[in-house]
Amino acid sequence: MKLLTLSEQLGLISYRNQAKSEIKPHIMVDTGICNSVCPHKCTTYVCPAKCYTMDEQGMVHFQVEDCIECGTCMYACDQGAISWEFPDPEIGRGVTWNYG
Amino acid sequence: MDEKFDCIIVGAGVAGLAAAMILARNNLKFLLIEKGDFPGSKNVSGGVLWGSDLAKLVPNYWDEDAGWDRFINHRRLTFMDNQSAFSVDFKSSHFNETPYTGVVVLRSKFDRWLAGKVQEAIDASEYAMDSFIAPNILVEEILMENGNAVGIRTGEDRFYSDSVIIAEGVNNLLTRQVGLQDTYVPADHILTGIKEIIRFDERVLEDRFQLNGRSGMSNEFVGFSTDGVEGGGFLYTNKNTISLGLVLGLKDLREKEKAPYDILNTFKQHPVISDMIRGGEVVEYSAHVVSSGDKRIIPKRLCKGGLLVCGEAANLLMNSGKAIQGMDYAMRSGILAAEAIVNAKKTSDFGEASMQRYQAALEDSYIMKDINNFQDAVHLLHDPVMTQKVPNLLCDFGRNFFSIKNEPTRKARQMLGESVKKYSSYWELMKVGVKGAKAL
Repeated sequence: MKLLTLSEQLGLISYRNQAKSEIKPHIMVDTGICNSVCPHKCTTYVCPAKCYTMDEQGMVHFQVEDCIECGTCMYACDQGAISWEFPDPEIGRGVTWNYG
Repeated sequence: MDEKFDCIIVGAGVAGLAAAMILARNNLKFLLIEKGDFPGSKNVSGGVLWGSDLAKLVPNYWDEDAGWDRFINHRRLTFMDNQSAFSVDFKSSHFNETPYTGVVVLRSKFDRWLAGKVQEAIDASEYAMDSFIAPNILVEEILMENGNAVGIRTGEDRFYSDSVIIAEGVNNLLTRQVGLQDTYVPADHILTGIKEIIRFDERVLEDRFQLNGRSGMSNEFVGFSTDGVEGGGFLYTNKNTISLGLVLGLKDLREKEKAPYDILNTFKQHPVISDMIRGGEVVEYSAHVVSSGDKRIIPKRLCKGGLLVCGEAANLLMNSGKAIQGMDYAMRSGILAAEAIVNAKKTSDFGEASMQRYQAALEDSYIMKDINNFQDAVHLLHDPVMTQKVPNLLCDFGRNFFSIKNEPTRKARQMLGESVKKYSSYWELMKVGVKGAKAL
């Protein structure tokens, strides 16, 4: 069986409010903390949806669009950089599982 | 909706729906709030619903072709190294009898179906027009007055009630807000679960996994499956799909600097797994955190005046090695919470002392008895000797034992001894064995 890349896997997910051009992010990340004091920058590899990426300079970036509300980053970040809420049903992002 | 409800339930997952069913049957006026598009739309589980409580909520559910996927009559626990799989396998027609002791479910379908059953109970109750299941609403705050919950707030809207049941799931922001859990929960007793739903032609699935009618198999994996990270793998047969996934200790994942999707792909390439999933088509990829079953993460108090916390919001989940139990704990704790509310309504006393009946009932139920009794098993499962060395030495022994080489064969004991020395030591195994015997 052919393995899927993460973007192919994420392509199978139904996200909410996909037609909206602007959404209210439900997670706020103070990447200043990630890029100054954090010794591990672990969100860049533990997040199952790879919402956190690291650029060539080793700087952490975050995007909320692919978030599947799993909660991983909220526990993994022990530096206090993440403020985590559930997405707003009307103007937020987040998932609707087809199987779950 | 100006009037006050007897109860507001936050979250229409297994715990919230179970609670709602009991409230409807007892003619209480309630509001069940769900943040997703429909009940189940935000929920992910492995997932097997163990035990027979479902029959209490939906009698004769087995006569229906909806909601649940398959009942389990085939269990398998597999130890893996990079090439081999050594399994303990048990299948019995004894498990074909109803009420079943485990059913495989897909939450987006199951919770929605169960919500339909709750709606039927509401329709048959005295509050058919006054109790509601309300989707697409995010509860932002539990309203408290003098230490008692009096309702909820969503945006600018407030709804009032004599009691609130928090059944919001493991990412329990409201439970933290009311001070029953610390604001920051560290990764120590949290695992990230990730899985794929893989679709097959139903006949192919039945033939490949020796399924008959609606029978199903659950298979757990220890060892290579997690690429050196604490945790394990699972495979459950649904109707025409399988759920294949991993649960990975989050702290260990962080320390070993590994990505969950990479480990899942390595797992899928294992020769034994790749033979099982050949020809399948991935139709969904999902992830969700779960708690480990370590008691240290369970809030000490699960109630306040007018307020109860149940299901994974209370971190009620345990993997004792025998089964991963979470949904059955959610169902039972939801039932117990609702029973406490029904009793409080009778006596018009929703104060903390009255709510403590729930905590006492929970302590007295199999949930807390098992969680208390099997703490050693939970710790043992996170011991690297158990998750890495034992699978390696079992597979090494299996390879030698089952190799026929047209040369004089050594006794099994000698082979086992060599495998033990190669991967561990008798002393180390004895310690684990003593722990294991005590734990289980």
